Amino acid sequence: MKYTNNAPIIDIKRFAVHDGGGIRTTVFLKGCPLNCVWCHNPEGISRRPQIAYYQTKCIGCGECVSICDEGAHTVADGRHIFNRGSCIGCGRCADVCLGGAITFYGREMTVDELLPLLLEDRDFYENSGGGVTLSGGECLIYPDFCAELLERLKAEGIHTAIDTCGCVSRDNINKVIPYTDIFLYDVKAIDEDVHKKCTGVSNSIILENLRYLDSILKPVEIRMPYVPGYNSNQIGKIGDFLSTLSNVQKIRVLAYHNYAGSKYAALGMNNTLPERLPDDSELQQARETIAECVNATVI
Amino acid sequence: MIVSDKDRRVIENKYHLTDKEHDPFNRFKYHGYGYDESTGLDDDEIKAGLAALSDSLKGEPHPIIKAKLFEYVLKNTRIDINEHDYFVGIYTWDRVLEPHTVNKWIYEAADKVALVLGDRKRDDLSATGYVWTSLDYHHNVPDWDSIAKLGLVGMLDRLDIAYRGFLEMGELTESREIFYRAARTELCAVISLVERMYEYSLSKSFGKQPIISESLKNLVSGAPQTTLDMLQLMYVYFMTSESTDLFQVRTLGYGLDGTLYPFFKNDIESGRFTKDEIASFIGYFMLQFSAIGNYWGQPLYLGGTNPDGTTRVNELSRLILDVYDELGIYNPKIQIKYSKSTPRDFLDRALKMIIGGTTSIVFCNEETIIKAMMRGGATYEEACMAVVKGCYEYAVRGDSVAISCNVFNALKPVELVFNNGTDPMTEIAVGLETGEVTEFKEFKDFWHAYLAQLDYAVSETLRSITEFEKYAYEVNPSLMLSLTLPACANTLTDAYDCGVRNVSDMWFTGLGTATDAVMAVYELVYETRVTTLDELKKALKCNWIGYEDLRARALSCKHKYGNGDRIADLYAGEIHRFFASRFNGAKNGHGGNIEYELHSARSFIDMGRQTGATPDGRLAGEEFSKNASPTMGMDKKGITALIRSATSLDLSIADSGTCLDCMLHPSSVQGEEGREILYGVLSTYMSLGGASIHFNIFNADTLRDAQRHPEKYQSLQVRVCGWNVLWNNMSRDEQDAYIKRAEAIAE
Repeated sequence: MKYTNNAPIIDIKRFAVHDGGGIRTTVFLKGCPLNCVWCHNPEGISRRPQIAYYQTKCIGCGECVSICDEGAHTVADGRHIFNRGSCIGCGRCADVCLGGAITFYGREMTVDELLPLLLEDRDFYENSGGGVTLSGGECLIYPDFCAELLERLKAEGIHTAIDTCGCVSRDNINKVIPYTDIFLYDVKAIDEDVHKKCTGVSNSIILENLRYLDSILKPVEIRMPYVPGYNSNQIGKIGDFLSTLSNVQKIRVLAYHNYAGSKYAALGMNNTLPERLPDDSELQQARETIAECVNATVI
Repeated sequence: MIVSDKDRRVIENKYHLTDKEHDPFNRFKYHGYGYDESTGLDDDEIKAGLAALSDSLKGEPHPIIKAKLFEYVLKNTRIDINEHDYFVGIYTWDRVLEPHTVNKWIYEAADKVALVLGDRKRDDLSATGYVWTSLDYHHNVPDWDSIAKLGLVGMLDRLDIAYRGFLEMGELTESREIFYRAARTELCAVISLVERMYEYSLSKSFGKQPIISESLKNLVSGAPQTTLDMLQLMYVYFMTSESTDLFQVRTLGYGLDGTLYPFFKNDIESGRFTKDEIASFIGYFMLQFSAIGNYWGQPLYLGGTNPDGTTRVNELSRLILDVYDELGIYNPKIQIKYSKSTPRDFLDRALKMIIGGTTSIVFCNEETIIKAMMRGGATYEEACMAVVKGCYEYAVRGDSVAISCNVFNALKPVELVFNNGTDPMTEIAVGLETGEVTEFKEFKDFWHAYLAQLDYAVSETLRSITEFEKYAYEVNPSLMLSLTLPACANTLTDAYDCGVRNVSDMWFTGLGTATDAVMAVYELVYETRVTTLDELKKALKCNWIGYEDLRARALSCKHKYGNGDRIADLYAGEIHRFFASRFNGAKNGHGGNIEYELHSARSFIDMGRQTGATPDGRLAGEEFSKNASPTMGMDKKGITALIRSATSLDLSIADSGTCLDCMLHPSSVQGEEGREILYGVLSTYMSLGGASIHFNIFNADTLRDAQRHPEKYQSLQVRVCGWNVLWNNMSRDEQDAYIKRAEAIAE
């Protein structure tokens, strides 16, 4: 059977060691229904292809100028100017950039193209209890693509994980369930207004989907970014919510950091990253609070 | 506490004063704390005495001269027994025999070799940084079984018995007589030194003195009895062999755990020493090597698998790791033999130390060692029990000697192809005339020219080294080594006189960078056709000045070794196989094996200095890749691609071993989960046919270096709690913040 589904890829990250156990390869798909203020993969928000330009790495070789038919790149007085407005997102400039200053996010790839790349590290998966994780953005906005890719991976005996924000239709989730060993599921806030303020959307579908996965006994690892002043007041409520679930394997409290600032600049996006970082004691406190509510490992 | 702070300070000042500058490359030049002057002469007096004695010995056979000089040093050196140390002190360790023996005799040999060969090609190969050949007294291991079971006195008896046997049978040839006299002189000198130390110890009175005196007494009475006796003997043997007999002792025990275990067991069962006391002795022992601080490090290995499949990891192996960890030292360096039988808890213990920042632990794959050694003619049993004789190299236990070490520069043939056989820096026509490079029509012309240059260097090296090796026994009789080896002692034949297998080692430096250089020609000239050989030749001649864009293209070529790129890996494999095929199964002039080793020690820096710019974008004088690793910073696809590339080479055809160096960030290997990850990396590398592997977990210092030299860290990913960022894409402030975080992790 020939698979033809495409999806726009941000990155294929090898030796991913925090994405569902063991050594994994994580595929990041482009596009996300959420718009979190603290987003660390801003290239994952829009579905459209995007160019990131890192000015500090530009060596002024002019290769991009020659290859771009749209005139999006110009060099004047030895200075490279990227005119984002003219860019059509073909990505050819990233291929020729000698300084590695241009990154293309959103290359369309088929399941056939991806599969051999994902199988290359099979020995590492097998020796470490790892596998393949689909992430994003939000991978489940491409349910058919994900289902087909995961089905082929399962046929190869590969452990599979889906990293999701949960803000997708039940149908989308149902398509991947048979081929997914574990869901890595984000829980950012319980109060709807807080969730809306942080992510721009309601959390009702998200929590419903999580209850649903739990009800069908699907293994789930909860991920909770801890962002002071945004969702830090939600810890107790998240703990209470999780205590109503029965099949949570592990809970990760992820310390918010602001290392993605350069990425916002390179993408020409407004940097929405909060300034305040969590300190170790409040993280510890958050982990302890959640651990009191649930019967699962909290890290 | 295993070693008290005060004792530790004294031992650390035993070999050089810690508040004075110490150059690890200027080995053996220093003395530490004061020795009792009444116990012997100082260095100058000893040197004067040696000069006079050397004059009076003129005309004697070299082994006799060496032995008499050795005896003089041991008889006259100052000694020490210290309340802060279990181990004795030997004042004279400045390799004082060198000017009267090796350094003199090697030039005489080189002249004779040149006379026979009719040329000085060897000098040209050396002057151009192409091939360095030398006789090898550095990668040898005595027979620790003889030392442990017979002791000094028993080994003397063994020599005497052999001598009487040959005398009675009328087979006492002149060469046997000479070897016997020389080896006996050295062994007796060591025994007399220990006797002198014993007598001196009795004049002392402090807490450790009775234990020290007992160990010294045991050593002059017979075989070692206790763990401390054995450690004391290993130490005395090491010091006298390495610093006076000029023969390096490249591993401590057949596995320090294996050699010490019978003593350990006996001590515990008999109640002679407790486990804590033994841990302390091992701590004091290891601190000696940490304090000596030789730049090459003092290797010792642990574990291994018996021919019947059972592991040799025991209670003592674990204790040694515990002690090493508690001391927090990086020398000696520990090699752990890895196989499927290695207990997981033992591996976990080592992995935990590595994650905690220990960078001196290497894992060696027994399966690859066994394949390599059996290909070279060793039996299965010999291969299972192989000894680690250097950084990663292995050999048959108690039955071999390294005779020559020859280091090849894998990039020089590239330079010579571009210059039709003449080295541009020295203008010496050291290579083959492979034709004007600009006239090469197809890639295969360049490729075949590269192999032809390499082939020529191999042939020329074999021609000169075969002749040179004939003089090994004359240049540096291996007396201290040979007297431990049963085959030498029983036949009264020096190891270099073919008493045991003589092994020539061929090191290959810069395989990764050489592959990148050849692949850059492939890609830039013949695949994408962005340049010509003519332009490339000009660019290399100018060290890329004026060709910066071309250099940027060369640096960003897609076919680079270490990225799981099939084409680059295939060419790397072909160069590797071509080089190996010239040696696998070949014999040297002594009937021993010639072994290929994908290893570079420091030559990747030194040969780099003597090599001009290369097509991969490397500047003149820059370092090469080391061992089986890619060019620093050119592995951009992460550790899994790196391991796939390295194991795509058949590493077992590097008869004598190789190593892959891996860097990981601490955040990848934190906590229990992290240890599983590291184990996953280790076991995958091993199951794919890896050789040795060394992990370097990035710390804040490395990150600071990455900040200063971003070009060398292009693949460094920083990943915190599930979010990933490429290091080089972070702003300075973000990097600073991250470094701060790394500092916190390190604590």
